[in-house]
Amino acid sequence: MRVVGDRPLEPALLPLSFASCMIEVDHLSKTYGTTAAIQDVTFSVEPGEILGFLGPNGAGKTTTMRILTGYLPASSGTARVAGFDVHEHSMEVRRHIGYLPETPPLYTDMTVEGFLYFVARLKGVAVGDRATQVSSALHRCNLEEKRTVLIRKLSKGFRQRVGLAQAIVHDPPVIILDEPTVGLDPRQIIDVRNLIKSLAGDHTIILSTHILPEVSMTCNRVAIINQGRVVATNSPDQLMEQLIGGSGYELEIEGPFAVAEAALRELPEVKVVEAIARPNLDEGYCLLRVITEGSTDLGRQISAKVVGRGLGLYEMRRVKVSLEDVFLELTTEEHALDDAMTELEKTAGVDAAGDPIGEPAETVTRDPLGDSAAPLSSAPREDSDPSSSDAA
Amino acid sequence: MINNIVAIVRRELQSYFASPFAYAIAGIFWLLSGFFFVAVLLGPEGIITSVASRDQLGIVDPPIDVPYQFQSVFLNLLGSLSLFLLPMLSMGLYADERKRGTLELLATSPITNWAVAVGKLLGVIVFFFTMTLPLMGFVAIAFSASTPPAAYTVLLAGLAGLMLMAASVLAMGMFISSLTDSTILAAILTFALMLLLWVADLLVNSIGGPVGDTISHLSLIKHYNNLIQGKLDTSGLLVFISYIALGVFLTAQSIDALRHQRS
Repeated sequence: MRVVGDRPLEPALLPLSFASCMIEVDHLSKTYGTTAAIQDVTFSVEPGEILGFLGPNGAGKTTTMRILTGYLPASSGTARVAGFDVHEHSMEVRRHIGYLPETPPLYTDMTVEGFLYFVARLKGVAVGDRATQVSSALHRCNLEEKRTVLIRKLSKGFRQRVGLAQAIVHDPPVIILDEPTVGLDPRQIIDVRNLIKSLAGDHTIILSTHILPEVSMTCNRVAIINQGRVVATNSPDQLMEQLIGGSGYELEIEGPFAVAEAALRELPEVKVVEAIARPNLDEGYCLLRVITEGSTDLGRQISAKVVGRGLGLYEMRRVKVSLEDVFLELTTEEHALDDAMTELEKTAGVDAAGDPIGEPAETVTRDPLGDSAAPLSSAPREDSDPSSSDAA
Repeated sequence: MINNIVAIVRRELQSYFASPFAYAIAGIFWLLSGFFFVAVLLGPEGIITSVASRDQLGIVDPPIDVPYQFQSVFLNLLGSLSLFLLPMLSMGLYADERKRGTLELLATSPITNWAVAVGKLLGVIVFFFTMTLPLMGFVAIAFSASTPPAAYTVLLAGLAGLMLMAASVLAMGMFISSLTDSTILAAILTFALMLLLWVADLLVNSIGGPVGDTISHLSLIKHYNNLIQGKLDTSGLLVFISYIALGVFLTAQSIDALRHQRS
């Protein structure tokens, strides 16, 4: 776990000078009772950047965001927004952020415009600026035709947009969006993404999502969070490179797969050669995927190897690994590593306790369930059998 | 800070005036209090009839100050009626915010918990005040019809007493509302607590001693009756102000605690 966690983190964080960061999160942890929601989360966001917070549900995205907004206190660690500590200077932090929680906080009995005026007043927008700020937020979120409609009467997509407008109405330097596109139809999702992209530059944005394409489309940088830990931080492109460490090719060749595989394996940079099944493939042809390591493009060598063996090369296509694969690999690899770690710890514990004690302990804890349960149930049967035979 | 409180007050008022529920409460309040007004003043058992029959019998001692007597009976009834209606006004103050998730907006805005609580309390007090205004109009008309016209200061003192009592009930109701997501539960609990405080002095008559004395001081009806009869004792004022301050303080604390325990 630590191995994977540290590897991508360091190159991303080292070049940043911490003083210039808009958001700095340092070894942040939060526990509810005994369960840890987030553990040792560290990342930073530079001004004008969009950071995507990617992770499965329950990974700790919302908790991290709530701590950043000052809504929840952290158990340990520090977080600073625009140079202010979220705990000690909570009011200053609140002045500098716009926040869209998972469920948009809307007063359904107000009109869109009335609600935005209320939020503007609440966030301390000066009287003279309110009208311009509200109309600019309405314009940006495409809500102009709904300005006098009661929020109660709006559809889910419009409510989400009102939630967004609420987060930007006071023009905050930092905007925190918790799953901004959830529950929207594809067209609205595109609108929201464009809006977020248009906000970057002047604003620093953190958005959380469990939808992968969203991150590669909108974000400059990605922090992948799983089970309360940030497992990787980098740009979407670099993350892919880091993870796969190279590019891949898909080949269609004429000839046996084994021959092609053997030929390609001769290249030291080739990591994986695998066959791809396709139903209507002509006799004698096969499809295969080659994944290579390192940054050098091996297209020339691969084609040379294939052709050099007398195989026919009919198609050769470069494939980029999508972020979805990265995400899957990260979280599943994390999972596998986790299991391996616990397995290791288990065996280490048994070793440390010593074999003579460890083995009887194993038999004591495990056997009663399996072995002694059987004798118990079989014992009466054995008793009854002789007795019945006696009676007979 | 003042700006923030004003923002909250305006929002609260807006939601009351936009809600059919609040109008229903106001309607019931006006209907019943209008009935009380007529019954106390003009009814067969009303003040005017009883004074007239006294005159016929030739009883002049002790003299009766009719407007004054009327107001204290009417305001007493109004107080009891408010006891039922005020929990319904205060029940949604925080319970609705919790249910809607808008508490997260307030808690991440540059406004302190106590400013929110003060704003909300002021908002609901203003709404209740507008509810009582027409009734005070009735009383004022009745006062002006008496000869010689009664002093309006008595009316104003009575109104102030009613508002103070209402503010105390609303402040405690607001605190109870901040404890739960359920508006109904908040209303029931508030009503139970207020009923207890309303008749605290009756309950402790049997206890007696210093403990009974202390508890009887918490009684709302005792201090309320003093105020609407024009007895302006500082201890009564202090009790009401303490209730209001305690309500605001506890509300701010409970919202703070809520954020710490939220999972």
